[in-house]
Amino acid sequence: MNKKTGTLSRRKFIAGAGAMSGILLTGCDTNIYTPPVIRSGLMGVSDVLTMASQRLLMSGQGLVKEYETSDITKDFPAWGRTNPEDENYQQMASTGFTDWSLSVGGLVNRPSSFSLQDLKRLPPRTQTTMHICEQGWSAIAQWTGVPLTTLLEAAGGVKQEARYVVIDTYDGWYDAYDMFDVVHPQTILAYGMNGKDVPQGNGAPVRLRVERHCGYRNLKFLKSVQVVASVEDIGLGKGGLLSDYNWHWYAGA
Amino acid sequence: MALKQSENWIHRHNYNVRICHWINVICFTYLLLSGIMMFLQFPELYWGDVGFRGYEAIFKLSNWGLTWEEADALGNRQWGRNYHFLFAWVFLFNNLIYVGWNLRNRHFSKRMWPRRDELHKDNLKEELNQHLHLRAAKGDAAKKYNVLQKLSYLIVIFVLFPFMVISGVAQMPAFTSISPELIDLFGGRQSARTLHAISTLLLVLFVVIHVFEVFVAGAINHIRAMITGKYYLPTEDKI
Repeated sequence: MNKKTGTLSRRKFIAGAGAMSGILLTGCDTNIYTPPVIRSGLMGVSDVLTMASQRLLMSGQGLVKEYETSDITKDFPAWGRTNPEDENYQQMASTGFTDWSLSVGGLVNRPSSFSLQDLKRLPPRTQTTMHICEQGWSAIAQWTGVPLTTLLEAAGGVKQEARYVVIDTYDGWYDAYDMFDVVHPQTILAYGMNGKDVPQGNGAPVRLRVERHCGYRNLKFLKSVQVVASVEDIGLGKGGLLSDYNWHWYAGA
Repeated sequence: MALKQSENWIHRHNYNVRICHWINVICFTYLLLSGIMMFLQFPELYWGDVGFRGYEAIFKLSNWGLTWEEADALGNRQWGRNYHFLFAWVFLFNNLIYVGWNLRNRHFSKRMWPRRDELHKDNLKEELNQHLHLRAAKGDAAKKYNVLQKLSYLIVIFVLFPFMVISGVAQMPAFTSISPELIDLFGGRQSARTLHAISTLLLVLFVVIHVFEVFVAGAINHIRAMITGKYYLPTEDKI
């Protein structure tokens, strides 16, 4: 019994040490250097080191490389889930997503709902970038969509306590993104791919592009955008579907 | 006689070398295993920026007797990612400490940097000959690293280790927002991944030869020396 307590407190201590290293790196705002939930034990220390060091390197908020149109990959893979079973989704897909809408809620000043047409009326951004899958593959495509910040502005802007943007999808996926990624100019909700509508296999009608992250965090088949102060109430409370399954939330590579 | 034997005990490795060596053994084991676990779930290598299943590959595990599905079933990316990152950090800190420490106490310049005469063609030929005939060094020659040891250790520590770290970091999706030039230098994102794998094979080759040489030169004596620091100097053959 005593031994058990000892193990736990040691774990807590190590996790605490991980959090501390994040604090030391920033001085004040640890938010962008540490994940919302730090895993226990040495994994937590490793997570914080990985995230903090990468965020430090990225602190200039530079853009990832944008390619020429001629670099676009033919036969861009449709990987992972390609056809959500959700009934509503199937219904909307059969009518060309004219009934689809994206709800933007939570800590925004004017919770609203955006149809595909509404999104297309907002100032767009087009970027030709490399999609890098966590499994190892990569391919180049051109994406057109609304910057996430533009969308949040259209919903009246975020409230002061806003820390994460949580996105839900029609294939049951969810993930949270911190403000460091939300405000990045290349973070867009893409409705166009290579000059056409986003094909079903690549996330129709709208998918997220967070270009500094692995492919799986570029969620497909978007359903809703929610601004929150904490990820506590999202899924199992660890900040995303894969982190709920004990993956590193930030991943980063 | 007893006195004479005790004179044969020398101090071979300082404690920093010993500690860092065994930490590296643990790191290497975990990094290799976790790397393989990730690779098995995407068992192809490509050159350039682009690569995916169906794209022209330069290496396919399926051509070597393991189908994509079989490899996938053996792999485990979640475990692989967790431990690859964790031990990459341990590995990095361990080697920074090792290099810093041994630069400071002049271990590299005194014991590991090859002398000019050692690099002479005749000496290299002679050393290689000794190695190929599996003749272990004895007497005074066994007190120091031979030139092939020195060169292979220096290459591993100062070329392959940094290369592993850089080609690993270059695989982060955000990397082009930090240093697009380095990715171009590798020849593209997939090339960085492929070079990371090739460099792994070179390290495995080093470990295989290294362990083999330990057995040639006397496994117990050398492993004991790497643990306790004490090494029993083999006497020269009497003619």
